[in-house]
Amino acid sequence: MAGTRNYDFLIKLLLIGDSGVGKSCCLLRFSEDSFTPSFITTIGIDFKIRTIELDGKRVKLQIWDTAGQERFRTITTAYYRGAMGILLVYDVTDEKSFNNIRTWFSNVEQHASEGVNKMLIGNKCDWEEKRAVSTEQGQALANELGIPFMEVSAKSNINVEKAFFQLAGDIKKRIVDTQQPQQAQQQSVQVGAGQGGVAAGLGKNCC
Amino acid sequence: MSSSTEPQVEDATREPPSPPSPTASFYDMSDDEEGGYSTIRHSKSGKGVKLLYTKSKVYVHPSPSARDNIPGYVAVMQQKPARDLIASPPTSPGSSSSVGRRAEINSLLLAWVPEKSLGEANTIYTKVESNDSGEPPKQSHLVPAPPVTTSHSSSVGAYAFAIPVTDIFSILVRPPNTGWWFGSIVINTRAGDSFPALFFHDSECQSTIDQRKKLQRENFSISGEDGEGMFWGGDEVIRWLKKFVTVERSSQEPSVYLIEPSESDRVGFGSAGKPTPDKVRNVLEGKHKDDPAQPRKGSVNDGDPVMKALKQARWSFLEKMSQVTTFTRRTAQAVAENKNLPPQVRRLMQDPQVQTVSDEFDSARLYLARWAMGIAEQSERERSQRIWTAKDMLEMEETGVGEFEVLDMEAQDLSLMDKRKPVTVEEWNGYFNVGTGVLEKTPDEVKDRIFHGGLDPDDSVRKEAWLFILGVYEWTSTKQERHAKMNSLRDEYIRLKGAWWERMLDEQGTLEEREWWKEQKMRIEKDVHRTDRHIPLFAGEDIPHPDPDSPFAEAGTNVHLEQMKDMLLTYNEYNRDLGYVQGMSDLLAPIYAIEQDDAVAFWGFVKFMERMERNFLRDQSGMRLQLVTLDQLCQLLDPKLYDHLQKVDSTNFFFFFRMLLVWFKREFSFPDILRLYETLWTDYLSSNFHLFIAMAILEKHRNVIIDHLKGFDEVLKYVNELSGTIDLPSTLIRAEALFRRFQRTVEAIDRKSSFPGMPKPELRQRLPVPPPTSPGVDGRPRRASQAATGSSAGASASGRAPTVGDHVAAGIGAQKEKVVTPELRALLSREVPKLDKQEVKDHGGGVGA
Repeated sequence: MAGTRNYDFLIKLLLIGDSGVGKSCCLLRFSEDSFTPSFITTIGIDFKIRTIELDGKRVKLQIWDTAGQERFRTITTAYYRGAMGILLVYDVTDEKSFNNIRTWFSNVEQHASEGVNKMLIGNKCDWEEKRAVSTEQGQALANELGIPFMEVSAKSNINVEKAFFQLAGDIKKRIVDTQQPQQAQQQSVQVGAGQGGVAAGLGKNCC
Repeated sequence: MSSSTEPQVEDATREPPSPPSPTASFYDMSDDEEGGYSTIRHSKSGKGVKLLYTKSKVYVHPSPSARDNIPGYVAVMQQKPARDLIASPPTSPGSSSSVGRRAEINSLLLAWVPEKSLGEANTIYTKVESNDSGEPPKQSHLVPAPPVTTSHSSSVGAYAFAIPVTDIFSILVRPPNTGWWFGSIVINTRAGDSFPALFFHDSECQSTIDQRKKLQRENFSISGEDGEGMFWGGDEVIRWLKKFVTVERSSQEPSVYLIEPSESDRVGFGSAGKPTPDKVRNVLEGKHKDDPAQPRKGSVNDGDPVMKALKQARWSFLEKMSQVTTFTRRTAQAVAENKNLPPQVRRLMQDPQVQTVSDEFDSARLYLARWAMGIAEQSERERSQRIWTAKDMLEMEETGVGEFEVLDMEAQDLSLMDKRKPVTVEEWNGYFNVGTGVLEKTPDEVKDRIFHGGLDPDDSVRKEAWLFILGVYEWTSTKQERHAKMNSLRDEYIRLKGAWWERMLDEQGTLEEREWWKEQKMRIEKDVHRTDRHIPLFAGEDIPHPDPDSPFAEAGTNVHLEQMKDMLLTYNEYNRDLGYVQGMSDLLAPIYAIEQDDAVAFWGFVKFMERMERNFLRDQSGMRLQLVTLDQLCQLLDPKLYDHLQKVDSTNFFFFFRMLLVWFKREFSFPDILRLYETLWTDYLSSNFHLFIAMAILEKHRNVIIDHLKGFDEVLKYVNELSGTIDLPSTLIRAEALFRRFQRTVEAIDRKSSFPGMPKPELRQRLPVPPPTSPGVDGRPRRASQAATGSSAGASASGRAPTVGDHVAAGIGAQKEKVVTPELRALLSREVPKLDKQEVKDHGGGVGA
């Protein structure tokens, strides 16, 4: 199947955060550039693909979307391990979802692979009149957790693209660029093995 | 210009010359600037269109039940005569001047109209049909214009259509088979749609019978035009179309007739190009320039004739590829493995619908495979429709279509035909004593009917019947008892609703509790606003939101959404140990949509939740049990598929999580869900019949999965994307067949292992590879409700007590030992596994936990 590969690297990302913060909407915006106001709740887990170009390399992003409700965490944490990058999403109009970011973060620490890239995302930043979490609060929390931060709006298409590109770029730097040439080669092959290879990492460990 | 009041051909003796007809006025009003069919939209005046040719007893088969067949007329109509051609309808398309011919063609419609809708026009249709001159009637017969469409809308009941002939790409013609399958035609539009198959019930159609006789008299033959097979209705439609337009039989696919094929269509499929599989592959691989049969290239873009052909043909092109099954896979592989996939093909694949799929899999490989599946599915559906509509079931058995196990089953029990009719409200009422309202049939008889036939979606029967199958009403109750019960349930609902309402207002309870309630309320609100909003009932946003602070205050709401919120909050109150969990709104919506009474729907939901509760436990133990059971079921029923799933790390069966959690709510349309839920609620064969539905869906796609899916992510994606593509009636039938097979297998294993002379099979329980332990709360697999199911595990549907213990393995005919695990044996039980309260408390995750 090596011949069918039309990308240089495969990067797996994961979206987590409270129910209703707009994870699926962000993903839909990024992967299909569309938005649906009355979306449906995500049940179980799904992913979408988009191939982007980074420094002249074709990077295939496989982005996993999870159900947000705490009740399903048993299931969703199983998918943390295969992820190379995790977007922790909250809703700037919903303080509770912001407060829960710490819980999500410790979940990531507990279940995800070491060194996984993380990013804090405040969604619905177009909705100023309902805003409950300021940009400063968001930035402060990100600083505290030591991760990058960005406010986005899936609805108004603000920064969504940028957020995914930045995270993907960081991951590429971490995994590919910083390694010894030989290792990098191996890694990229392994990463790129795609369909059957590391894909299993995500699938194996559910329930 | 005028109407056909000026017959040019002398032989007008049969009809008196018609008076100046309304046609004139109609045609005069039509807007000449608007070419073709658009003018018909101006004919709201009801003046109508000219009926040139028609044939009766052409049926649409909307469901496998013959009862649902809709008889109608297929017709060729003309909405506006072409000026220079009105005098003599062309008999040969090549003979007319091209301008006039174009106008002529543009005015033609191919239509199908249900008998029922004809009204007074019925006599006109009959008259035109009986015209056996072989030429359009001299006189102008005007009938009301059917709705003109260029695409098939799948909405139920909207079967009538009239499509401009110029919008038809091809007609798929399937002659009648072995003398009792109805011949059919399928119209494929240039836009890529297909209209429902039209079945020619020739034996009922007087004109076809007459024509056959005539042929016999004149030619001593009843062969169709092409000399192949018997003359039938569909032949005639094609013959008639040929009078007006160019109809070319595809050399590649002889059952396909191209209508007015363009040059590029011809290159693609017609007789000119004669594309071989190799040639199509050449096109795909971008080697067309070397192919002498292809016109010499233009630019790579739109000027490229091949690209143009590809674009125009689009879906039909792909259809062609997949119809030639032997080369489908080769082509698919060629696409997948070809590093130099030409930009043309990539652009072709950029059709938005294609893109989603092809992107996600990086290649057209799966797209093509799935697409081919779709074709196979359609033909199977049509085939089975014919099977069910045919009266002679036994004959069918002899035709050796036996690979379809379902047929055995159907043939065994001819009364199934009747059972598959939906239960109407009349039939339902007939089950009960007129005076006392006590059921006069056994509950099993009623369940049998609902399981096989469903409840009539078009009358009110569900409203009441659902309360029985959900268990709100006792089957043995009297009318009076039910009345009393409902009254007390209403009171109880109001009490429960009041309880949380007060708590909300008074801010009672601990801070933590209050927080929890607030959160639940928020969560419910968010989810209700994104549950089934495409259903008209839940679509509107016509009332202002009661709470101005709600995030939905701006969007507004509607009374049904508010009711949904109240019911879910009340359930949260009623079952505090469990609380509200995502997915519950999905389960409540159908019940509310049917009952449309919050108290009644609430109690129906409570009953539904008794069995679904296990899906929503915090530790997911109930879901895990079902996934494990499905794993074992697959292992038993389809070891080959199971092996493959094992190879691709998919035996956790997690890709069925969504389907099992909310009972396929996201996979089927809303009307289908109603039918599916009532089937499952009957517990007629098994209280876990939903696992057989899952298995039936899996089985349907087993070949694609085995041949094409190479990793867990691919399997998950593939299965997730089945949503909206699954045919319910055939799935139900397949699930039943699978259940029967499962039941037989278990019985055979039991018999074998209890046979004294046989070497005792190993008493080793061959559990499937245990699902990888999840980092769950307690970290170890726990089988919720095993205690509950265990108690009834032995009571198989056949009523026979198990002859051996639960953990028996036996080799049955196969190389592999077959094992009946306790989880599998529980599938034979009709007892609904319910959790006890303590279990919910311990594992629920609600406020009480």
